[in-house]
Amino acid sequence: MRLIGLEGKIDIFLPRFIFRLLCLAAIAIFASACDRSDQEIKVYRISKAPLEESAPAQQNAMPTNAASPAGRAGVARAGSTIVSTPPNWEPQPLSQMRQGSFLVRGENGAVADISLVRLGAAAGNVLDNANRWLEQLGQPPITAEELAEITQRLTTPIGEVTIVDLVGLPKDADPAKDGRIVAAIAPGSTSTLFFKMRGNADLAEAQKPDFIKWVAAVCTAQAENKSRSTAAMPVAPQDSSAPEIKWKTPEGWTEVPPSSMRYASFTVSGRDDEKIDISIVTFPGEGGSNADNVNRWRQQIGLAPLDDKEIMSMIVPMNARSTSFSTVDMAGGDSRVMAAWTRRTGRSWFFKMRGPGPLIEREKPKFFDFLRSIQFNS
Amino acid sequence: MWRRVVDLFTSLKLTIICLAAAMVLIFAGTLAQVHLGIHEAQQRYFQSLFVWWPPESRGFKIPVFPGGHLIGAVLLVNLIAAHLKRFRLAWRKLGIHLTHAGLIIMLAGGLFTDLFAVESHMQLASGETKNYSENARGMELAVIDVTDSDLDQVTAIPDTVLRHDRAIDHWSLPFRIVVRNFYQNSRLKMLSEAGNGARPIANQGPGAMIAVQPAPRATGVNERDVTSAAIEILPKDGGSLGTWLVSDALGARQTFSYGGRTWMIALRPARYYKPYSVTLQKFTHERYAGTDIPKDFSSRVTLIDPERSVNRDVLIYMNHPLRYRGETFYQAGFQKDDSATILQVVHNPSFIAPYVACVIVAAGLLVQFGYHLVGFSRKRKAALA
Repeated sequence: MRLIGLEGKIDIFLPRFIFRLLCLAAIAIFASACDRSDQEIKVYRISKAPLEESAPAQQNAMPTNAASPAGRAGVARAGSTIVSTPPNWEPQPLSQMRQGSFLVRGENGAVADISLVRLGAAAGNVLDNANRWLEQLGQPPITAEELAEITQRLTTPIGEVTIVDLVGLPKDADPAKDGRIVAAIAPGSTSTLFFKMRGNADLAEAQKPDFIKWVAAVCTAQAENKSRSTAAMPVAPQDSSAPEIKWKTPEGWTEVPPSSMRYASFTVSGRDDEKIDISIVTFPGEGGSNADNVNRWRQQIGLAPLDDKEIMSMIVPMNARSTSFSTVDMAGGDSRVMAAWTRRTGRSWFFKMRGPGPLIEREKPKFFDFLRSIQFNS
Repeated sequence: MWRRVVDLFTSLKLTIICLAAAMVLIFAGTLAQVHLGIHEAQQRYFQSLFVWWPPESRGFKIPVFPGGHLIGAVLLVNLIAAHLKRFRLAWRKLGIHLTHAGLIIMLAGGLFTDLFAVESHMQLASGETKNYSENARGMELAVIDVTDSDLDQVTAIPDTVLRHDRAIDHWSLPFRIVVRNFYQNSRLKMLSEAGNGARPIANQGPGAMIAVQPAPRATGVNERDVTSAAIEILPKDGGSLGTWLVSDALGARQTFSYGGRTWMIALRPARYYKPYSVTLQKFTHERYAGTDIPKDFSSRVTLIDPERSVNRDVLIYMNHPLRYRGETFYQAGFQKDDSATILQVVHNPSFIAPYVACVIVAAGLLVQFGYHLVGFSRKRKAALA
């Protein structure tokens, strides 16, 4: 079959060749033209996420004998944080926007309004906000360079807070109630806090030190709330049918709220702010090989990995009330790790103590007592 | 007819035209970044079949130039067709075949990357755990049924749908959503601060106290649009529950009740959930002594995958990404005060294509030049003899 007079070896395949060619072109153009998957409406189910839902954290991810879940019921509103304020700050009713609201009164009818508003992370542009406030005070906008000259920085546990102090009296405004804005912007990864004091210029000047102290106190309280809520974040929840275990907490060990990956956590304090971290972690299945886990723990304290044979020689078996554990004890530099693990009924359990060497040595007998006290319900 | 088609697709002229068009497109697209920003310019010039005029939706649009996808697709077809037409099974052509095969893989890989790769970010503060990443540009309207105590049902409506379809009727929702206003970029002001003429675009929630002003699109690399919309909830059996303002800049949680269930609405960066979680253990940011110039920054994270019983620590730093379940986590940035790390999460099924293509092209060139070198040296030897 010779359709056209092309020279070469593909003549008899020409119809098929052209057909394939056109198909290829059609596919390429169709693929280019068709909607991408990210333009479709998606429906899915997820476990409760604290960023969206302030409902109680997943209780099934916690041991029944875990510490009291104080403060773990979600992300606290900034305004609900207990932060002391100066006695002359009169609390005002909160609105949906305001998470903190106060009024300060001065002499000759002078007042200043103080507010705390939380907005999304994208709202935190300092120049835009400063110019918005200047506009409120009837002043022309400023440039980024001019802004840099009038801003102050305040270092807080949630990051650096930018403070601006703007002066100006809008046309027809009452100087007893307006003339100055002192504001602080605390940007965060998910939201931005806006602290603002607006009112009589002299009164705002007098209240400025208290205002800055209040900003710092709220930011500190936010950091504490965040660490609690982060610890309670139920991401990657463990199997809800996970068996419960019970133990006897040794004297001197303080149980702390577990994180999402931990079944339980403890801490022990020593001298000079030294601390030991003790964790219980469980996984369905094997939870990785012994060598992988031991080498990961070695890496955490700066030790080089070992091969399987060397690791096998390090593992010491230990019999407890309801099971037998494999244990290792490793020291690297100033740090030391003691770990024990067991696998039973399709689930692996890891118990790990990590901290300064001398403190670990002191707590070692308690760690073994702790392991012996563990009872599995299944 | 057939011959004309074959001649057209195998023509070297077509290759030259495509390459010239690509150069013009790259030049125009680069200039357009000044006004549109890199992301928008990429979409309009390179990730499209045609460059349209006028660019804004004014009821009509005219294609004024071929887009990146069209030029790439035609170039790919042209390359394959020309190669097949001139194909000769001979050793001396092996280098040419390999080089062309490498180029074809590279072009096809580029097209597939454009079509199927998803880039997102995961921002983690120290100790924070996340099981989702977020689109740095694309937003979604999340309508979440939060009634159940342990699970939320999320209906995620992308912003592209919000723009194009003003009324949304979806099987997962017992009501219709009508987009009354949509602002790709906006500024939010309290009504009391916005002047006398300002009116709210919503009548429910905090949006009833806020004025929304449209703003020009953000064009800087590190700038983001503040997307806002007014959405009205209309039960399918008639009536209206009201209009809410949803915005990226609005931190307040907004809920309403309907049909015995509680619903939450939020306009947020589009999320990509994962069957595993990542916890930031430590973010390290070293600077050159006496300067603020970054020397090195790295993130030590713990990867937890209950399904696969994975629990391991990983150090992510420049040129050492974490690859897991088809996704790659790169160290992309950090918050100014080092309070959080930013990981770029890339899902690219054809990420291997450029590597394979480069190896094949290099091998092809080596064979081709090697063949000629050997031939040349033989001739020289023969001449000398």
